[in-house]
Amino acid sequence: MTDLSILAVSLSREAAWGIVLSLSILWIGLGLYWGKKARSSEGFMLAGRNVGMALGAATAMATWVTSNTMMVAPVLALEKGIWGILAYSSAAFGLMLFAPLAIRIKKLLPEGYTAGDFFRQRYGGFGWGLFLVITLLYSITWLVTMAIAGGKLMEALGGIPYVQGMTLILSVCVLYTLFGGLFAVIGTDFIQSLIILIGVVTIGVLVLGKLDFGATYEHVSTYQPALLDVMMPVALLAFFNNMLFGFGEVFHNNVWWSRAFAMRDKVVGKAFFVSGLLWFPIPIAAGFIALAAGPLGVNVTDSSKVGPMVAEHVLSQSGMGMMAGVLILVVLFCSIASSIDSLLAATSDLVVKDVYCGLFGQELKEESFRRVAGSVILGVAVVAWIIALNEWNVGLVLYSAGGLVASLIWPVIAGLFWKQCNPLIVNIGVVAGCISGYVCFFAYEPYMAALVAAAVSMCFTLSSKWISPRPWPESNSKEPAS
Amino acid sequence: MFSQTFFYSLVILGLVWTALGILALIILFVRDWKNGDLW
Repeated sequence: MTDLSILAVSLSREAAWGIVLSLSILWIGLGLYWGKKARSSEGFMLAGRNVGMALGAATAMATWVTSNTMMVAPVLALEKGIWGILAYSSAAFGLMLFAPLAIRIKKLLPEGYTAGDFFRQRYGGFGWGLFLVITLLYSITWLVTMAIAGGKLMEALGGIPYVQGMTLILSVCVLYTLFGGLFAVIGTDFIQSLIILIGVVTIGVLVLGKLDFGATYEHVSTYQPALLDVMMPVALLAFFNNMLFGFGEVFHNNVWWSRAFAMRDKVVGKAFFVSGLLWFPIPIAAGFIALAAGPLGVNVTDSSKVGPMVAEHVLSQSGMGMMAGVLILVVLFCSIASSIDSLLAATSDLVVKDVYCGLFGQELKEESFRRVAGSVILGVAVVAWIIALNEWNVGLVLYSAGGLVASLIWPVIAGLFWKQCNPLIVNIGVVAGCISGYVCFFAYEPYMAALVAAAVSMCFTLSSKWISPRPWPESNSKEPAS
Repeated sequence: MFSQTFFYSLVILGLVWTALGILALIILFVRDWKNGDLW
């Protein structure tokens, strides 16, 4: 999580309020408009299961672009050089490799609603419980970090008090998700994707225009040669760790499963692959500007703000004045909103279907669905708001969760593509992977957590294929063909 | 050590690729919209 407080306030408070309120009105208006389509529970939760290529690819990409993509990619570039930039980009492979999994998900669970349906069917009550604990912990902390980032962004760029800014961005996302369900989330994600991409390219081109590339390379190779090192060990570790973190996050999280369920059968694989292709260059375009800080004379007093600091410096020097702040605020606001809305919708679906109906055995009728779903969305948002209000340091919880999500990579693959396995061994592997991931994160090297957890879970999962395997339990879904 | 050419090419590639992403999304949107395939 990034603290933006060091950035100069480049917008007047009135201008900042004007921008965020205009965007808020736009998103809520679109939520109301698209909400007319969400007449049934399936429409509200899964946008009618008929989402096409353009909206499908854009929503997957926009959700994966968070404030961290804009803020942490430059930090990795500043600290780990070219490998650092590529390490962040490697998270795109998670989206690309989810493409064949999404096709399989649609075949196995044509009537599925959440990732929990899959875990319960394949790994029984214990595996399902493990999944719920991991995914709810991860999703709620991700949501809280986004809310905190939103509040700090508006405070730093527009002088809007933290609590007001954080409450505003959370409330806006709650309102349009309440009105329009996944229709509103996917529709706004498309517009937000375009804004983010246009903003990143604009800032990148302006920085490139101000930069003497030869001098920059000379500067870095003289003062920080390790950043250009092909064999920088910690950066290589970061590359593979980030990649596995990305695999684990995308493969297990209901944010992407709900999109797979929502997309049309014919486009689901292509849409996820294209979303990965669209996402891959963003950390490069957003991250390289950090290496320009030295040659441009930007005094980086705190590396966590290097991206916006260089961007603001260059845009101001380009004569954009207040527009510099406007551009950065709009791009970051969209990147945060596109993640918050998706997390709200997907996490609420999980709570409604898996906790309310599954765990508590409540029957959910069509006429009471909107009331229950709405209450859950509000409840999830209130929990996130309370944690964000106190600014509890949940960033560490999120970043240390690499081992948790990486432990679920192999169980997801096995459950989707194998005919049989031993669920008990797989579940023990998940627990062992989580424990080893945490031990590595806190006792050894954080960049080892996802790698070790995935390896441990992989060993158990592979063993489960040969040690007393049994076919998957009977269900309404279609069994794997091979 | 990564060469200057590699570094420069990576940055240009990143920016051009991102710009092409904008174009791709617009083209896909128009195609889906014309065919009534948006959702």
